[in-house]
Amino acid sequence: MAEGQPICDIEVTVNGRLHSRTVPARQLLIYFLRDELGLRGPKVGCDTGHCGACTVSYDGRTIKSCLMLAPQADGAEIETVESLADDGELSTLQQAFTEHHALQCGYCTSGVLMSARFLLERNPDASDEEIREGLGGNICRCTGYMNIVAAIRSAAQGATPEEARR
Amino acid sequence: MLLAPVDYYRPTSLAEAVDALSDGVDARPLAGGQSLVSLLKMRALQVDLLVDISRLSELQRIEPRDDGSVEIGAGVTYDVLARSELLRRLHPRLCRVASFTVDAQVRNRGTFGGNLCHNDPINDFPPLAVALDATLHLTGRDGERDLPASEFFTGYFATATGPGEVLRSVTLPPLGAGYRVGYSDVEIGEAAARAVAVVKVADGRIADARVVLGCLPVPERRPEVEAALRGTPATAEAVVEATRPAAEGLEFLTDADASADYRRAVAPVVAKRAVMEAIEASEQGGEHG
Repeated sequence: MAEGQPICDIEVTVNGRLHSRTVPARQLLIYFLRDELGLRGPKVGCDTGHCGACTVSYDGRTIKSCLMLAPQADGAEIETVESLADDGELSTLQQAFTEHHALQCGYCTSGVLMSARFLLERNPDASDEEIREGLGGNICRCTGYMNIVAAIRSAAQGATPEEARR
Repeated sequence: MLLAPVDYYRPTSLAEAVDALSDGVDARPLAGGQSLVSLLKMRALQVDLLVDISRLSELQRIEPRDDGSVEIGAGVTYDVLARSELLRRLHPRLCRVASFTVDAQVRNRGTFGGNLCHNDPINDFPPLAVALDATLHLTGRDGERDLPASEFFTGYFATATGPGEVLRSVTLPPLGAGYRVGYSDVEIGEAAARAVAVVKVADGRIADARVVLGCLPVPERRPEVEAALRGTPATAEAVVEATRPAAEGLEFLTDADASADYRRAVAPVVAKRAVMEAIEASEQGGEHG
């Protein structure tokens, strides 16, 4: 860490585990997650807050982690894409992405999965239009979105909010 | 991106926040950060201290008043605003705008107060605040003061918030019986044009109207348009005529998204659409705008 810059002591729960760290006050949450905690799921895409590749869950709500300072997460509960699979077993949503070929390069996928999960928690019966609207904060350059929407639709159908959350 | 070195402080009360902002340090309140963190990343702004007000409960309330007005905490996020049962009842059009602002992630963090204080011309809420005759409540070291929305926005990215002051909350007066709100924008890249109309229709005529244009340094009421609308039949033809001079006397911006000429041409169109939407909402009945 560079000398002489302001630092903060923070305690953040990430994917169920509490971490205590000293960080530069200016460190963005995305870099804290990736570089400090070694969680490579959330990605740095545009780094201007548009593409959503950095999307994680903060106290149960999706946020763009490139638009948050790590100290703002002190005391918060963060979930990244790494939290979706249960002991290596893919979640319903992740399975659906596999079955429906909802990714190509995969770079947007972790962010899209977090947004999709949040969307379905709120609206388990989401229509295609609502799915598309709910993904407005995530940009995919590869797929053209149709398979992503199909995957989310199939994960949603018949799922309870609890199941959708997985 | 790497921000310039900056310090971070999280006060536990509004009073502590105001103290920290008034301490002679170059400090800024940090709420949702959806605009501020972006600016800091691009180094378009330099501050020494960020005072995190995003968890202050004093700024999160949405409270009805006896006279039918509602006070909205500046720290209320777009998402919380959009889903507030009270606001959906009293100001459904405002809630609809909040529910579509930017995207879900931004709505989960960005705040109503932050949108107003940032006063980016592309922001949704400054013209709404002016059209709805909002009163903004500021807290500083010298105490509290109130400003009407018509005096709050002073220029590009500029408001009347003084050094060390925090926008605490915004009061929306009751709309008034029969008033409906219309909102229209044209999005090219960001927003090229925006209009808000608050209209009352009676016996097939426009009894009263307020028309505000956004996508400007300061949201602008259009008194000439309002005067032309009053008394006129609530029809598309009449509204087109009345809104024709909507752009007059205003200077528009040319930027990467649209030219000033385009914006000038589109301003009357969004004004007309906003008025028509309010008229249609009147015709559909229902309790509020």
